[in-house]
Amino acid sequence: MQTASNETQGTASGGRALVVDAVTHRYGSSTAVENINLDIRAGELVALLGPSGCGKTTLLRIIAGFIRQTEGRIILGDEVVDDLGPNRRRIGIVFQNYALFPHLSIAENVAYGPAAQGIGKAEREAETKRLLELVKLGHLADRLPRQLSGGQQQRVALARALAIKPRILLLDEPFAALDKNLRLDMQIEIKRLQRLSGITTVMVTHDQEEALSMADRVAVLSQGRLEQFAAPTQIYDRPDSLFVNTFVGTANQLSGQVLASDGDMATIRLDAGAELRARSPGGVLASGQRCTVCLRPEHLEMTDDPAGFAAVVEMGLPLGATVVHEVRGADGAGIKVSEPRRAGTALRATGTPVRVRPLSPDLATAYPA
Amino acid sequence: MRRDWEAFSFHLAIGVIAVLALILLVAPTAIVLIVSFTSGFSLRFPPPGYSLRWYVALWDAWQLHFAAMNSLKVAAWATFLSVVLGTLAGLGISRSSRLSAKLMDGLFMSPLILPALAFGLSSLMFFSALGLPVSPLTLIIGHTVVCVPYVVRNTVAALSQLDPTLLECSASLGAGKVYTFRRITLPLIRPGILAGGFIAFMSSFDNVPVSLFLRDAATDMLPIRMWQDLEGKLDVTIAALSGVLIVFTIALIMVMERFTGLSRRLA
Repeated sequence: MQTASNETQGTASGGRALVVDAVTHRYGSSTAVENINLDIRAGELVALLGPSGCGKTTLLRIIAGFIRQTEGRIILGDEVVDDLGPNRRRIGIVFQNYALFPHLSIAENVAYGPAAQGIGKAEREAETKRLLELVKLGHLADRLPRQLSGGQQQRVALARALAIKPRILLLDEPFAALDKNLRLDMQIEIKRLQRLSGITTVMVTHDQEEALSMADRVAVLSQGRLEQFAAPTQIYDRPDSLFVNTFVGTANQLSGQVLASDGDMATIRLDAGAELRARSPGGVLASGQRCTVCLRPEHLEMTDDPAGFAAVVEMGLPLGATVVHEVRGADGAGIKVSEPRRAGTALRATGTPVRVRPLSPDLATAYPA
Repeated sequence: MRRDWEAFSFHLAIGVIAVLALILLVAPTAIVLIVSFTSGFSLRFPPPGYSLRWYVALWDAWQLHFAAMNSLKVAAWATFLSVVLGTLAGLGISRSSRLSAKLMDGLFMSPLILPALAFGLSSLMFFSALGLPVSPLTLIIGHTVVCVPYVVRNTVAALSQLDPTLLECSASLGAGKVYTFRRITLPLIRPGILAGGFIAFMSSFDNVPVSLFLRDAATDMLPIRMWQDLEGKLDVTIAALSGVLIVFTIALIMVMERFTGLSRRLA
């Protein structure tokens, strides 16, 4: 995929398509985004992920040129575009509500960008036809937007954005308005088109599954700060911060005390009564310090191993392929343990004493409390 | 059972009030239309018999024709000026959140609230202070002032319905401000502007107070002519003319409804 994208996007030096360079934006006294650095390679699909109000939309609008950042630079390819208005950046945007022009036909919507740029009628019509075929809507060219379904409208919005031969593509919560069944189809469709065209894409979303499933790399934002920028598996398996660990996926949070710290690993005594080894991102933990250990439910197992800590089963929830047991540790903390479910095996009864341990030490992560 | 009775009596009361209101609104119009077909010489209702004689008389009433042409010309000019100026004002007002924009909005709306007679008198004094004698020009200016609020109001309302994302989207596709205005903003607010223009036209066409002060002796305006004719001799021709105006207005409303959804905009 990387080679394919380099062929089509071979403009940027070193394969860079978009650099967000130390961008800060303040609204009055409040800071919407603070010192964000992103280096996005040509052909990559990057997701900006975070809860509402984390600054991801502000960042998208800064990249698009709708907002002028207070500090920092936006670099497209080799060009610093801070002084260019949105109409001169050649960035394709698919808006959350699609923003199709309601009074123009589907074909006119797609041809709008080329027409605005003064491209001749014949060329514009040929390009429109090609793009509508690409999104499989050639037969609806003469309809008005309101006559189309949500998924079809989104494909029109995508075709329209691609019609300006954009340097990068921005998707603003692209699937939020679609119902759940359609959402997966459109995610696959957009990923397919993105790979096919090899266009660098930045997508804003608050939906972690969407970000993890679609993106090559995910930038997790919280309160205007970049928490982590890495591949989805890295984000999920080796989170850098407590926020990332708890926002992406679910995590049990157990409190404990650092016994020893050696580089990016630490030995921790849990209040629930067990010692374990845990990753310590950045090696910031000092021995004696209080800490929070995060363990994902599926990274825990219930065993007879005395190395684990003691707990009592409170409830079992069979969820089809997996079974989740809510157990309570000696310090009163509720812990979820998720295990594969075998057909015919019974749930553990309420009150059953068990021992719980992580599947492997590097799956536990400790953060300063 | 009791609940049924309550619901029934409620609907009955509402229904009776609605029918009364409807009669009050429609009856005068209906009576004028019926009287205009009278075969007699008075405006008495019900008419003693029916004929088209007053419509034939209307055909020959050159004074009324002359006044109608004047009123049409003035209304057309006032509407044209109101649409151009009112649309520009509406664009300016709706794009700004500054206090000055709010004040301007109030200023443009003031002719609707100010008594038209007071405005007529004061503008007459204003024009004479400027050394401008009353003329078709002063008349058109006066009508424009009282008609412009309708266009401003409708333009602002149409703009507030316009999704700002569409304008951002247009920009992201490479369109400049002028191109966006021509292909997105204007087509989307055009029904609102047309609805405002239509109301402006109608309000200019039957305006009496401003015309009273600002017309010159040679510019006979239809509403004033009609009143004078009625005052002098209770002329049934005027009933026939009213009939023509009513039909003409209903036709226009239907056309506007078809193209702009007028009733939705006035709601």
